[in-house]
Amino acid sequence: MEKPVATLDQGTTCSAWNYCSERLAAGSVDGSLSIFDSRDPSSSSFTRSSKFKAHEAGIVKVAWIPPEYGDAVACICEDGTLSIWEELVEGTQPLQWKLCKSFKTSSKVLDVQFGVNQTSLRMVTAYSDGGVKVFELIDPLELKNWQLQAEFQNVIDSVSTLGKASCLTACISWNPQRGEGQESSFILGFNSNTPQLNSPKVWEFDAAHQRWLPVAELASPGDKGDQVYCVAWAPNIGRPYELIAVASQKGIAIWHVGSTPDLDGRLSVEKVALLSGHNSEVWQMEWDMSGMTLATTGGDGLVRLWQSNLKGTWHEQATLQPTSS
Amino acid sequence: MPGVSSDTSGGALAPFSPESQGAAVYPLHHGLKSPISRLSISWSRGNSLRVSVFAAPSDHSVNEEAGGKVVEVKLGSGDGEISDSHWRRIAYDSVSPFALLQSRKNAASSFSKMSMNSSPYDVDWSEYSKDINALLGNQKSPPAPIIDDPKSVIKKGEEPTSLKAAWELLEMFYAEKPSQSWLPERLVDWLAGYDSLFSGTHSTVHSKLVDFQKELVNLQVVEDDPRYWEVISSALAVGWLDIVVKLLRLHGSYRLDQLSNRETENGLVEAVAVLISKMPRMRLEQEDGILGESFKAKPDFVKALEKWRAHINKLDSSAFWFQCAHQQTREGLRSMLQIMLGNADSLCTATCHWIELYISHLLYIRPFTVGLESMYNLAQKCIQLKPMASADRLMQLIIGILGENTEVVLAECSKGFGPWMVTHAIELLTAGSDHAEMLLHEEHKNLGGISIEELYRLVYAQVLSSHPLTWQIAPIYLASCMKQGMVLLQILLSKQPVQHNQLLLKNIEICRLYELDSITSNIMKIAGVYHWKHGRKGSGVFWLQQARDEYRLNRIAQQLFDSVGKTISDESFKQWEGLIQLLGSESKTAGGLEFLHKYRDFKKSLQQIHDGKTTDASRQAVESLITLMKNPSTPQRFWLPLLYDSLKLLNWQDHPLFNVSQTNLLLNKLQELSMARLRPGFIEPDLPPHALDSVRLALATNLGRAILEE
Repeated sequence: MEKPVATLDQGTTCSAWNYCSERLAAGSVDGSLSIFDSRDPSSSSFTRSSKFKAHEAGIVKVAWIPPEYGDAVACICEDGTLSIWEELVEGTQPLQWKLCKSFKTSSKVLDVQFGVNQTSLRMVTAYSDGGVKVFELIDPLELKNWQLQAEFQNVIDSVSTLGKASCLTACISWNPQRGEGQESSFILGFNSNTPQLNSPKVWEFDAAHQRWLPVAELASPGDKGDQVYCVAWAPNIGRPYELIAVASQKGIAIWHVGSTPDLDGRLSVEKVALLSGHNSEVWQMEWDMSGMTLATTGGDGLVRLWQSNLKGTWHEQATLQPTSS
Repeated sequence: MPGVSSDTSGGALAPFSPESQGAAVYPLHHGLKSPISRLSISWSRGNSLRVSVFAAPSDHSVNEEAGGKVVEVKLGSGDGEISDSHWRRIAYDSVSPFALLQSRKNAASSFSKMSMNSSPYDVDWSEYSKDINALLGNQKSPPAPIIDDPKSVIKKGEEPTSLKAAWELLEMFYAEKPSQSWLPERLVDWLAGYDSLFSGTHSTVHSKLVDFQKELVNLQVVEDDPRYWEVISSALAVGWLDIVVKLLRLHGSYRLDQLSNRETENGLVEAVAVLISKMPRMRLEQEDGILGESFKAKPDFVKALEKWRAHINKLDSSAFWFQCAHQQTREGLRSMLQIMLGNADSLCTATCHWIELYISHLLYIRPFTVGLESMYNLAQKCIQLKPMASADRLMQLIIGILGENTEVVLAECSKGFGPWMVTHAIELLTAGSDHAEMLLHEEHKNLGGISIEELYRLVYAQVLSSHPLTWQIAPIYLASCMKQGMVLLQILLSKQPVQHNQLLLKNIEICRLYELDSITSNIMKIAGVYHWKHGRKGSGVFWLQQARDEYRLNRIAQQLFDSVGKTISDESFKQWEGLIQLLGSESKTAGGLEFLHKYRDFKKSLQQIHDGKTTDASRQAVESLITLMKNPSTPQRFWLPLLYDSLKLLNWQDHPLFNVSQTNLLLNKLQELSMARLRPGFIEPDLPPHALDSVRLALATNLGRAILEE
């Protein structure tokens, strides 16, 4: 059933596949970034094609930039810096990975995700002080120039005053749809000491006023302060509602989010399942390309696969247990 | 329904584990020795999941030890019976019957919408079913050897597969409905072909025969061996008449040297053999190699059956038995007669598996059994008599079919045989059954508004999508999904790599076929950016133009423009000239590109003058220079270089090339430039220090000459 496709170097801490699953970027504890490629498209064996030192500190997260903007990755380091690296040919130099941009801020970057719409590339970053920034790429062919488009905090009610927030992790997931006339939206949650920041909120871009608005909060009234480990927005191939998975200390919740806002501009939300699986922290959640199967992994060291049956009941369909032999 | 919990119909989406309490746990072998610190997951195309396994850092780590492994898991794959490559062949071969059936169905439904008359397009499910059956392998026995070995009882054909066996079951129960009175005999044939499939877990008539076949060569006097009579009875019970007759003819009494001594005995053996070969059977056609007399019509069959049974009774009560000295023969033959008369105990003793018992009942006790309900009850009775140790997927399917529960049949197909089976079997299940059609085509809110049929097609398409050799047929199935197929197809196409030209072209072709224009242009855009950034500027521009991506083309023009501006030397210009040509003038790009085109024309004319072609070239060069200088899109920093390049034109020997107003225009520009130099941020062009003066002088001289001329 399983087949090894690549061998990673000592000290590898994180990895990410590109849009077509043909390239793998792997970050390492010594700050180096490795890129793996296959010889031909039908092969599923990947070997390292380049390795370079991206940073002095260890890399904790890598994310590919959407392919319309080139072969590039963003990496977050232990010290909280964010840098963007791109593979390109410049002048007469050979093809190589180059640093395009390095973002330095007083607070650490915890997560970064990219969203594409018709004309622009947007980058959302979440910081250890509970801040959220949205950047927009100015020139579609240059990953150097980013413009800060918005800066806000992950709260519905902006008048409430927050104490000094300290966030351990953050999780962002863009709405994967990118159809005509579709506004950009993403969901964001925190694992922090500030309850108001934690609950995952759906942010949608209001093009008329050029601002981001919270349109939904995915937490039951009693759970709003729960620390959130992970969020994942499912691809929608035709459902009348959106499907979003949220992992918190209480388990993995599956939410249906309506598509038409009410008078206050809020979307209807419904928690359709609360699944318990990984006992402790959930590390990652990924939807398959149809949005039918959710794969999760977490502190129990297992991969779990979840599906809904014909009656609409969510259940664990299979568990993958890593074994060394 | 006993044995099948109603929850089975809950229907798992993917077939990789039985629907039960608690998920199935599968090991994920990664081969790392050190403990695991973390996992990372990523879906590849379709239903393959890639898991990165990171080893915990260890102090005493040896250098050659890997720090992690990436393992790919294909969900729902791995049928032990059929190899991956065989599955791919089945997948490819089933495309055309499926597509043909869909187009027939579409034609039929559009016709029935247009008129109330019956449609001229008959949807032929049996043809579809036969096509699919054929591609699952050829089950027919190999041609008989020329010298028939009398001791070879069991013929070895192609290895039967459960998949084909399952398909044939569906075929006989759903695609061939009208012929229900032949169903028992169809099942007899089915078991003859597939009984060996059950030998793995159970003792079967087939396995008994195979074992006996091995012994046969060593046996001198077969009729003395009790197993000889045992296997004959078993074969008779399940209706393998040719084997029975063949075995009977091995009886010692046929040997020439024995014939005179054992005349009565031989007569009895032969009488039984003849009776067996004359057994009346309810079959559609008399086929070669099938013993017995076939009847199509029931009354004829009933008459013949009564007559045949009367013969058996007569033989059973004949006095010849007392004259038969050989005890085993006597007993063996008489127990065969009991089987033929339908003695339930004898049938039960002679058979091993419940399905064999079931078939024997259909053959000898209830040959008129019709209707699934009575068939189902009979099956339950047989299962009680011969309980199954383990639940075989084929048996589960039979029970589901006989139980007339479409959901169970579907769940068993999915669980036992995977998404290919369900997707293609649904066509048979809905054939002529309004109930099934309603059930499978009804849109479910729980499924996001799609029908069960569509759901299974989507699942199958995902399986196809996960392999580089089969993803190209997934669109055919996705296109048959009315509600959600197209969006999944778009996602699938967007996840194909663009860097290999052949794949890219294939991808674009599929997009065009399904009129997915926005996906096409996005794919081209990705390809364009990829090539542009990887140093293949020409291909980059080409694909961006194909994508009509004005936004990026504009940026490219701007970049060219900037770099031309930085180094206006002839060499660097040559590098860009091809690209400017490629960018073409049709693209509605703003100033930058327009300037580049004019600049190129100007440079060309100057070059021609340099080469000695003077008259026309000099006039053209002057025109180009004037348009360039007049055009507001020409950046100021180019003015002086342009004029400096034109010194030769300004100092033209024969006559002044610029008239008064033209010269005045140029002088004004020079004046403007001198003013601009005083402002901060002015970029001094990379020209000799005397450039400005020589241009000014040349302009003044030209002005004087032009005035004189006019």
